[in-house]
Amino acid sequence: MRQILYLVRHNLLRKPFRTWLMIGGMVLACATLFLAVTLSKGIQDTLRTSRERLGADIVAVPAEARDAALSALISGDPTTFYMPASLEDRVRQVPGVGRTCAQVFLRSLDAACCVAPVALVGYDPERDFTIAPWVLQKTGEPQRDNQIIVGAKVISAVVGTPAKAIGQRLIFMGKPFTVATILEPTGLGTDYSVFLTLDTAYQLIRDSPLYPVAVKRDEISTILIKVEEGEDPEAVAGRIGNAVAEVSAFTASHLTRFFSQQLQNLVDALFLAGGLFSLLAVALAGSLFALSVRQRQREIGLLRAMGARRNVVFRLIVLEAVCIAGSGGLLGVLAGFGLAYFSQDAITEMIGNMYMWPGDQFLCATALLILAAALAAGILGGLYPAWRSSRLEPYEAIRRGE
Amino acid sequence: MIRLENLCKSYQKASVLNGINWLIEDSSFVLITGRSGGGKTTLLSIVGGLTRPDEGRVLIDDIDIWRLPEPELAALRNRKIGFVFQFPSLIPALRVLDNVLLPIAFSGRSPNRADREFAGSLLALVGITDKENAYPSQLSGGQQRRVAIARALINRPSILLADEPTGDLDERTEAEIMNLFQDINRQGVMIVMVTHALDYAALGTTYLLKTNQLFPHKAELSPPGAGREESRHGE
Repeated sequence: MRQILYLVRHNLLRKPFRTWLMIGGMVLACATLFLAVTLSKGIQDTLRTSRERLGADIVAVPAEARDAALSALISGDPTTFYMPASLEDRVRQVPGVGRTCAQVFLRSLDAACCVAPVALVGYDPERDFTIAPWVLQKTGEPQRDNQIIVGAKVISAVVGTPAKAIGQRLIFMGKPFTVATILEPTGLGTDYSVFLTLDTAYQLIRDSPLYPVAVKRDEISTILIKVEEGEDPEAVAGRIGNAVAEVSAFTASHLTRFFSQQLQNLVDALFLAGGLFSLLAVALAGSLFALSVRQRQREIGLLRAMGARRNVVFRLIVLEAVCIAGSGGLLGVLAGFGLAYFSQDAITEMIGNMYMWPGDQFLCATALLILAAALAAGILGGLYPAWRSSRLEPYEAIRRGE
Repeated sequence: MIRLENLCKSYQKASVLNGINWLIEDSSFVLITGRSGGGKTTLLSIVGGLTRPDEGRVLIDDIDIWRLPEPELAALRNRKIGFVFQFPSLIPALRVLDNVLLPIAFSGRSPNRADREFAGSLLALVGITDKENAYPSQLSGGQQRRVAIARALINRPSILLADEPTGDLDERTEAEIMNLFQDINRQGVMIVMVTHALDYAALGTTYLLKTNQLFPHKAELSPPGAGREESRHGE
């Protein structure tokens, strides 16, 4: 076996350009596949999470600020838009509306803590049904006025790891806050948001002479709505629009639909490119390998003449194919991981602050699957040349190699 | 001892060997000559278990080699027969010493220290003393042929089959290699050699392969195997 491995090694090193071309083909195939799977998983997670994360069936925002509101909800852009708080009562009267809760959006005056500007969101912890499901560590205590709940990206920018975040003191608009708890990554604007109580939010605006917009205590930014059981959110959103002209109401699926088409196109393009590259690269590597075996027919005949059994020749060729495919697969997965990892910012830039990096478990499983697929492709690619060569009589192999 | 019985071989309906009967005694030196494309290499390949005859039997020490299962035939080639081909036959990826030791790996074990020492002595025998770590591409044609002879002897075979081993070598190298074969034969190894170099016919008994039959070269009488009788060499 040692001698076979030795031969495999030397056969691969004998024509390094051809070997690297074959390995390169596998690297290209596996890297593209890994990238396509990882990115599409991230994008699909993002879409799914967007719908789930919203926690509400319908969002109502000031009619004149519809686009800004969409941007804030999806990307966490620290924009501001306000409407009278009394509209929440009118919305609650619309048939089919179940629960409602209001939020007020503030813009932080500096972004010293974070890579991106932070959206400060005032909310009512007692009535809210959208934040609580994402709290990573529930304290069981009601949120106090000097406490904040922070999004995942804010945490990574400020203290690095979520474990160290709770109890940290952060200053916003000149006022110190303690991190009460943190939120899981959502892929939405929430990741870049800091949540404080409504009272604290109004107080911050009032106390800061620099805050650019005068916000009254009876103003809010959004109304989050749960419809009654059995009600169609689209129909209820339509009723709200008709009944309360000052607001624009849209459903959670509408919110994600805004982005989903362009993301779907991106996913489709990734899979198409990944699939095409993979096929071409595997075909290239397979053809080169078959050619390489054909060119060594005489050598294979010589090995048989020296006493190598058919299965030795078979194993030798399959092992070569597996070495090429395995090393190509491994390098391809690493390259794909690197590309996916370092393109996160570009993807985020492209689709807004909503790209979710797939979990470690998914990445490991994908890497192993692609590696297994590469090895399987290697074995399959090597089987026919190996079978063909091992079936030839030694003299026939020698003659064909002449 | 090698016994051929009614050996026939055709390629695409063209007969190359037709009913050859032949007996080669142990330790003999036999040369086969004949026109190019006349079937000499095919005959050697059939005797060495490299290509299957259409009809007939090849018995080596009374074992019908073409009735052996493939693994046993491979083992027989490995242990009993050494091949020297008419073309450069070293594995380019392996160094000289590893080329010589390669057949040992196919016998199911890794070469040990004694094998390495024996390989060194074979290389010394063929006149290659300081090239153990060289690659075949770093050797001349004659040196490569010598290494191939050393490799053919590494498993101490009782039969050495050589197919025009000096075909593309200069006269001096040819003479050296033929002398080497003579030395090997003196040590009891049967040598069956296909050659056009009839200057060395005196080294052994020469046969002519003509019209698909074997004839003693000097006599050119009726085929020795005609009528299923055997040409007997070595008596």
